[in-house]
Amino acid sequence: MRSIIKIRNLHYSYPEGTKALKGINLDIVQGESVGLIGPNGAGKSTLLLHLNGVLKSTQGSVEVLGMKTEEKNLVGIRKKVAIVFQDPDNQLFMPTVFDDVAFGPLNAGDSKEKVRGKVSKALKEVEMEEYGERCPHHLSFGEKKKIALATVLSMEPEILILDEPSSNLDPRARRHLIELLKNFNLTKIISGHDLELILEICPRVVLLDEGRVMVDGDVRKVLSNKLLMDSHGLEVPLSLS
Amino acid sequence: MHLPEIDKFANLKSPLHSFDPRLKIISFSILIFSIVLLQDIKGAFIGLILAVVLVFLSKIPFSFIFIHLRWVLLFIAVLFLIISLTVPGSLLLKLSFLSVSREGVKLSFLISLRAIGAVLFIFPMIGTTKFNVTLTALQKIGVPNKLIQLFMFTYRYIFLFLDEGKRIFIAANSRGWTKKTNISSLNVMGNLVGMLLVRSFERTEYLRDAMVSRGYDGRLRILDEFKLSSKDFIKTSLIIIIAILLHLFGWIQ
Repeated sequence: MRSIIKIRNLHYSYPEGTKALKGINLDIVQGESVGLIGPNGAGKSTLLLHLNGVLKSTQGSVEVLGMKTEEKNLVGIRKKVAIVFQDPDNQLFMPTVFDDVAFGPLNAGDSKEKVRGKVSKALKEVEMEEYGERCPHHLSFGEKKKIALATVLSMEPEILILDEPSSNLDPRARRHLIELLKNFNLTKIISGHDLELILEICPRVVLLDEGRVMVDGDVRKVLSNKLLMDSHGLEVPLSLS
Repeated sequence: MHLPEIDKFANLKSPLHSFDPRLKIISFSILIFSIVLLQDIKGAFIGLILAVVLVFLSKIPFSFIFIHLRWVLLFIAVLFLIISLTVPGSLLLKLSFLSVSREGVKLSFLISLRAIGAVLFIFPMIGTTKFNVTLTALQKIGVPNKLIQLFMFTYRYIFLFLDEGKRIFIAANSRGWTKKTNISSLNVMGNLVGMLLVRSFERTEYLRDAMVSRGYDGRLRILDEFKLSSKDFIKTSLIIIIAILLHLFGWIQ
């Protein structure tokens, strides 16, 4: 199995001096679903933003699909690595759902016909085919979340990254999202505090704290380790306790 | 928060709805320029009637137009008052130390008619097309891309900005703060508005990340589906002829 994400000794400091990542080493294999957990401020979101070159490392390297996250490779990497952000209002910025879902394919230089096809397929995948002409502002939070997912699926990525996918969702919308994610045949990296969701979708979990990888292993073993979870400000999920 | 969107009635069917957005923007812009440059009250009055007729043809309800027009009317009312009282000329009315001149009232009428007419023309121009299509049309007719992005983000985020503002004020009210006309209240209000700006700035950073992640390189690309027909050219010609006739009418007088 080949590693499609290789992170070596990754360090990152924010401009004001906060050290967010301190020597991260991580390998992710094609087709894997990996959960990224840790307390607030552990560096989860910062790490995710390195995977398609939105943030540039202070030290160390990130290699995605054989390409280093350098300026010359960013167009290629961003076609293959899709990020769904926590707040869908930050992801949906176009006047209509259709335009939002078409945004990525248009930037990739696809033809009109191809863009239409990709938009229609992506909306179908999240079961929102009828929403193309709707204004994102008038959708419910759950609907926005699904459309945000469609905006990256239309780019036909190889790696799907989700930052806190279930935050603010009601139980029904959350369940629907979990079922959708289970069916996506992609490499998935899911960050968040919804440990039950991670337990259901990801066989592997990486625990991050203070900018370092603390544990990387089998999801059940890690999440059921009460001592470990407590020491990093986390809780053993109810289904494992 | 639900504000009345300008393109709320863009899905109706009328000769203006079926008008190609590019030619519609060009021809109505000419018409708007024509009415604001009129120097004759009768011409401006005909222009206003024409604007009402076009609004009627567009099938956009007048009640909806009034919601948007009320602030313009308020502004015009203030302008009307100031001009009537400040432009020198033959005395029409004297109220204590205030004097109203005939020339002032005439100029106020002319400016009011032109302003209301011009604003009314915007509704059949913008209100009969979905906002995203209008943006695409603007892009096609050569409006700078940065300006279009500015329009787009303003339209998309104004609702969110207002929602956020509302939430901040509710949070302040729930902790016992009430709006008053004193320094302390103004101080708090300044802080709340400042916080709103900080949050908006933060949002722009997240937004940038989301856009860059999807291949954004500074240029906005929107899919267009425009097709010109002979009807579009007839409508454009008619509107431009009317724009010229408005001025000819003044010259003949």
